Amino acid sequence: MPRIAVRGAGKRYGELQVFRGLDLSVGQREIVALVGPSGCGKTTFLRCLDGLIPMSEGEIVVDGKPINGPLPRTAMVFQHFGLLPWKTVRGNVAYGLDLAGASKAEIRERVPHFIQLVGLAGFEDAYPYQLSGGMQQRCGLARALAVEPDLLLMDEPFASVDAQTREILQFELLRIWRMRPTSMIFVTHSIEEAVLMGDRVIVLKGRPSGVAEIVEVDLPRPRTRATLASPRFAQLREHVWNILMDEARRAEFELER
Amino acid sequence: MSPARAVLVKIAGGLSILALWEMVARGFAAAYVARPSGILRVLPQTLGSEAVLRGTAITLWGVTQGLIIAVILGTAVGLLMGSLKLVERLLGLYVNGLYAMPMIAILPLLTIWFGYTSKTRLATVVFASFFPIAMNVADGARSVPAEYLEVARSCRARPHHLWFGVTLPSSLPYLLAGVRLAVGRALVGAVVAEFFVSVDGLGFYVLFQSRTFHHNQAFVAVLLLGAFALAIDALIAWLTGRYLRWHRPGEDRR
Repeated sequence: MPRIAVRGAGKRYGELQVFRGLDLSVGQREIVALVGPSGCGKTTFLRCLDGLIPMSEGEIVVDGKPINGPLPRTAMVFQHFGLLPWKTVRGNVAYGLDLAGASKAEIRERVPHFIQLVGLAGFEDAYPYQLSGGMQQRCGLARALAVEPDLLLMDEPFASVDAQTREILQFELLRIWRMRPTSMIFVTHSIEEAVLMGDRVIVLKGRPSGVAEIVEVDLPRPRTRATLASPRFAQLREHVWNILMDEARRAEFELER
Repeated sequence: MSPARAVLVKIAGGLSILALWEMVARGFAAAYVARPSGILRVLPQTLGSEAVLRGTAITLWGVTQGLIIAVILGTAVGLLMGSLKLVERLLGLYVNGLYAMPMIAILPLLTIWFGYTSKTRLATVVFASFFPIAMNVADGARSVPAEYLEVARSCRARPHHLWFGVTLPSSLPYLLAGVRLAVGRALVGAVVAEFFVSVDGLGFYVLFQSRTFHHNQAFVAVLLLGAFALAIDALIAWLTGRYLRWHRPGEDRR
């Protein structure tokens, strides 16, 4: 039985229908990547999944229960990092635990572990402004992991760091995920990233957007830098690209008419 | 210009002004008019006198009490105004309007409500310092970046987490800016209230010494008031450095 089931999800802002008829299921320890052009509602959909905003149609069921607000075992990593600037790395990593009602002793015991895990040992007392973008997102990741979530929602987490850092963080995330595999929904506009991360890649397109195709990624895990060089990876990347390309071409003709 | 030289130039500027004052006072003014040499002469005994010590303690205590009340009330009202549209609509016009109103205008009314007592001074100080604090905190609460609130909600924050864990700390730089403005207004309010209702304090000391032609002594008290303003400003700067190390103006608000 899938852990997360989305049926007929749709979101509308007034006249604007952002997405419609989204069906999706995510299994235990499965990584599902959502890829689509900017403005296709990926991030909005993820916010619905996190219970931050209500949907207009359809339902999201997690572990058999429809959601109507943020869940305790769901954690989100944001494109904007979302670090609180008045808290140090330690304080930010502790934030989710603190709000979840963890005791002081529990926080003292667990926070250093997760700071270590994301490679921020030695920066416990640094404020966010003192960190590079990549380090800030490591901190954001540690905050999400610290509550030991069953579902990780990644909202284009590496979109605002530079290309090299992005690649490093992708493999760091895969390494951390192998240590404690959870269900993960990974939203990105990078086709490569989607194929590298996902067990399945859900391609969104259209206006309002819907699922264009679900691509099974049969690349073996653990995925490493060698994965990026494999012919199968290139094949899958081209396949997803062609699905989206089709869309781009049609949009072009619409503009010309 | 080297820093040392810049300091020397500043000192030279100050000394020239003092010398000019001294010469004009000696040449043209009556003997009781305050002058640098006279102020220097009476400085030790005036600073040590019971009247000045008592006046200082009373005025500072009044200002401190008033500022504490204004910070608490102003922060509460500012947070409500900045976070709840309804409160903003209810109070916005009045808070902004009363901020610009000269508070001396209301002093006669305060005197009738609170009598010729130190309560009038306290009320004046609160009235003078409440508005800049409330206005600034409201500005701060309005400009809390949506990302912070989103993160908090994603972590299942309850309303008190949002208020005290996000909105308040995010507004702290605004609060301190408001307090800085409020300190100056509070000191003015206290001195004017003492002039007006003749309650004991440093302001009243200035008034009394002026009327009894002890202008040098009066001037020592004026300098003391200036020194307090500088000291409180330095205290706030220290607090900012200590507790707002995270704040980089213009950087943390995307």
